[in-house]
Amino acid sequence: MRSRRVLLTVMAMVCIGTIGLFAGVATAADSYPNRPIQVIVPFPPGGVADLVGRPFAAALEKLLNQPVVIVNKTGAGGAVGHQAQAVAKPDGYTLMVALSSISFNPEVDNLFGRPLAYKLTDFAPIALLSSDPTVLVVKTSSPWKTLADFVADAKKRPGEIKYSSSGVYGTLHVATEMFAHDAGIKLRHIATGGGSPAMVALLGGHVDATSGGPNVCIPQIKAGAIRPLASWGDKRLAALPDVPTFKELGYKNTEFYIWSGFFAPAATPPPVLKVLREGAAKAVQTPEFKGAMEKMMTPISYLDAPEFKKFWDNDAARLVKAIRAIGKVE
Amino acid sequence: MEVSFQNLILGFATVLTPANLLYSLLGCLIGTMVGVLPGVGPLAGISMLLPTTFGLDATSAIILLAGIYYGAMYGGSTTSILMRIPGEAASVMTCIDGYAMARKGRAGAALAISAIGSYAAGTLSVVGLMFLAPPLARFALGFGPPEYCSLLVCGLVVLSYMTGGSIVKNLSMIALGLMIGMIGIDQMSGYFRFSYGLVALGDGVGVVPVAVGLFGISEILATAGSPDRREVIKPRFRDLLPSKQELKDSVGPIGRGTVLGFMIGIIPGSAHIISTFVSYALERRMSKHPERFGEGAIEGVAGPESANNAASEGALVPLLALGVPTGPIPAVLLAALMVHGISPGPLFIKEQPTVFWGLIASMYLGNLMLLLLNLPLVGIFVNLLRVPYRILYPTILLFCVVGVYAVNSSMVDVGIMSVMGILGYLLRKMDFETAPLVLGVVLEPIIEYSFRQALAMSDGAYSIFVQRPISAVFLVVAWIMILLGLKPLIKKTRDWRERLTEAEKSA
Repeated sequence: MRSRRVLLTVMAMVCIGTIGLFAGVATAADSYPNRPIQVIVPFPPGGVADLVGRPFAAALEKLLNQPVVIVNKTGAGGAVGHQAQAVAKPDGYTLMVALSSISFNPEVDNLFGRPLAYKLTDFAPIALLSSDPTVLVVKTSSPWKTLADFVADAKKRPGEIKYSSSGVYGTLHVATEMFAHDAGIKLRHIATGGGSPAMVALLGGHVDATSGGPNVCIPQIKAGAIRPLASWGDKRLAALPDVPTFKELGYKNTEFYIWSGFFAPAATPPPVLKVLREGAAKAVQTPEFKGAMEKMMTPISYLDAPEFKKFWDNDAARLVKAIRAIGKVE
Repeated sequence: MEVSFQNLILGFATVLTPANLLYSLLGCLIGTMVGVLPGVGPLAGISMLLPTTFGLDATSAIILLAGIYYGAMYGGSTTSILMRIPGEAASVMTCIDGYAMARKGRAGAALAISAIGSYAAGTLSVVGLMFLAPPLARFALGFGPPEYCSLLVCGLVVLSYMTGGSIVKNLSMIALGLMIGMIGIDQMSGYFRFSYGLVALGDGVGVVPVAVGLFGISEILATAGSPDRREVIKPRFRDLLPSKQELKDSVGPIGRGTVLGFMIGIIPGSAHIISTFVSYALERRMSKHPERFGEGAIEGVAGPESANNAASEGALVPLLALGVPTGPIPAVLLAALMVHGISPGPLFIKEQPTVFWGLIASMYLGNLMLLLLNLPLVGIFVNLLRVPYRILYPTILLFCVVGVYAVNSSMVDVGIMSVMGILGYLLRKMDFETAPLVLGVVLEPIIEYSFRQALAMSDGAYSIFVQRPISAVFLVVAWIMILLGLKPLIKKTRDWRERLTEAEKSA
């Protein structure tokens, strides 16, 4: 009986192998895309990347006539998913919607003298989808009414005010440390698994402050649970016209955006990239995607590949400078 | 929130349209399937279907997706009972007594009780959700990393005390599970840990290959290795239904499982898994015949199966009342609502009464549909056991291999499953329980993360675990359990656990 079981198992494996082989042959022969496309989101469901990625994937699905499936590959402030994309087969079937944090992971590796998990040149930028400044928030019940109160208190007791972030060297961590460095204060960092858990930690009173994109913060601000102190943008947010920017308040080097972009592996063949660029350009124009983004209070900031590349280079340079200034944290 | 008759009427009026009824039924059907299939969990099921709901209105979408979520908790017990393969992580505890019942020809009763328990728990939890959501949600947010870490420590110690056998053996199984759970990329720093240069281990050791290997494969190996030829169980129709005694014995566990599951479910994290083993431990403690546990006690099925249903609905409390998701599945539901232009926040119930009350009403109906769907399935599923072992077992093995491979298209996972199968077989031969090992693997990321977050909050001071009252209570309970476990060493009293060991030896 045992030998028969082994035989059956082997047969099953052979079957699976053969099917895989046929699938491979078929792919090479036909035009792109002819099978489902996977889009890696390096953050948990419900975060900014996920919320932008899902309606985008749905719009793309209709344009490319193939299922476009979101896969949340999370961990290490997004590095796990970025790395998965960097080493993925450059055939256009494994793509990624990533956030600004993609720019600083390699710099963090440099800082700690680790081998690089990936390089920025591993990716071909296809399109910028959105770009949003983050907002610094505290509980309504906290004593800090303005950013000045917050900074004054932080100066009095360095390292005692706790803030939650989306992960070590994640977007919220770097943004907050950028401000702390600019203001000359020291805060205590509590890493969580993403933007939503970071907000949960603040609402539960386990930390004193956090930051987040407008779509995470605004419902809680409206309900009176949290108070915004300042935003990281170049100008004030349309949805929060009363909230000053850090720049206005004199923190000249504190500028940070959570942007989301659509990426492919760098070695992807140009014809495939062309299909994807055209697909992305049309997808951001669909009423479904526009409607979804509007409802999430996240304005679309579409840029096509060449402009996105320029934008990304600039942003990455600024973030790398910020990380060098921050230095090793923890 | 005003729970008024009108609101509920509004809810039912929303649901009782042909389209919404259909979506609810569809969600429940998909949920049952997702639950039955090992490997595809409710998270994968909901994530895959989310894009298809973009065209629906918000109420229909959330009714459909929520149906998958609580429907999966019904299906998860099926393979646990019939084949000792947990359909998803929350059904690990059901394997123990559910499968033992199936071996005794009571598979039908076990399946029926788990459907009835799920129904009772599901319905009672909706009542809880309706009346208690806002105050409970605030309580839940008070559960920070230190509390969560202590709860898990306490839960695992309670489990090792209650599962039977030696507490030392059980604790060592948990420790082994925790160690296996640490393999892979560290969530906080991004370092590879214990992967010995194998890139495939970067994602860690998955729960599915471990559970399928330790339970399913080891069972098949053990059966093949046992000298006695087992008779194929031929259940008569009468045997499909639970007996009066079994029904009577299940009432208490279902009630306790529901309350326990709902309370634990509200706490952030993968609470539905924790609720099942806490419920199992509680039932064993409450029972007058704890020695029956592991040998096919109906209470060991009724309690955990009710608890996981109640917990999955409890997890919706913080989402609906405060707009904060506390686990991956509520997070996807939140994403679904946001895509439809509803940003759930503390004002959600007031601003979106149609969606909220429609969801509540759909859950009443959905649970009823699931009961009606699952009871007739009992007859069909039990007939699987009529298949002779020489055909059934190779087929199960085939499904194990294909199922585990399909989760990540990874042969490494199949390898992990095989190693775990052999490990599980050896552990059984040496009288180790495998459930604590699986739970160790499942809970390791949560326990480690909350431990490190707690220490970050206190700047490295361990005192944070005893300074926070809820956390301190959990740790005290854990210590009491350990001391109780040591009692026989000091005083030569024979407690029920020793009697049990003796009974097992003589059998």
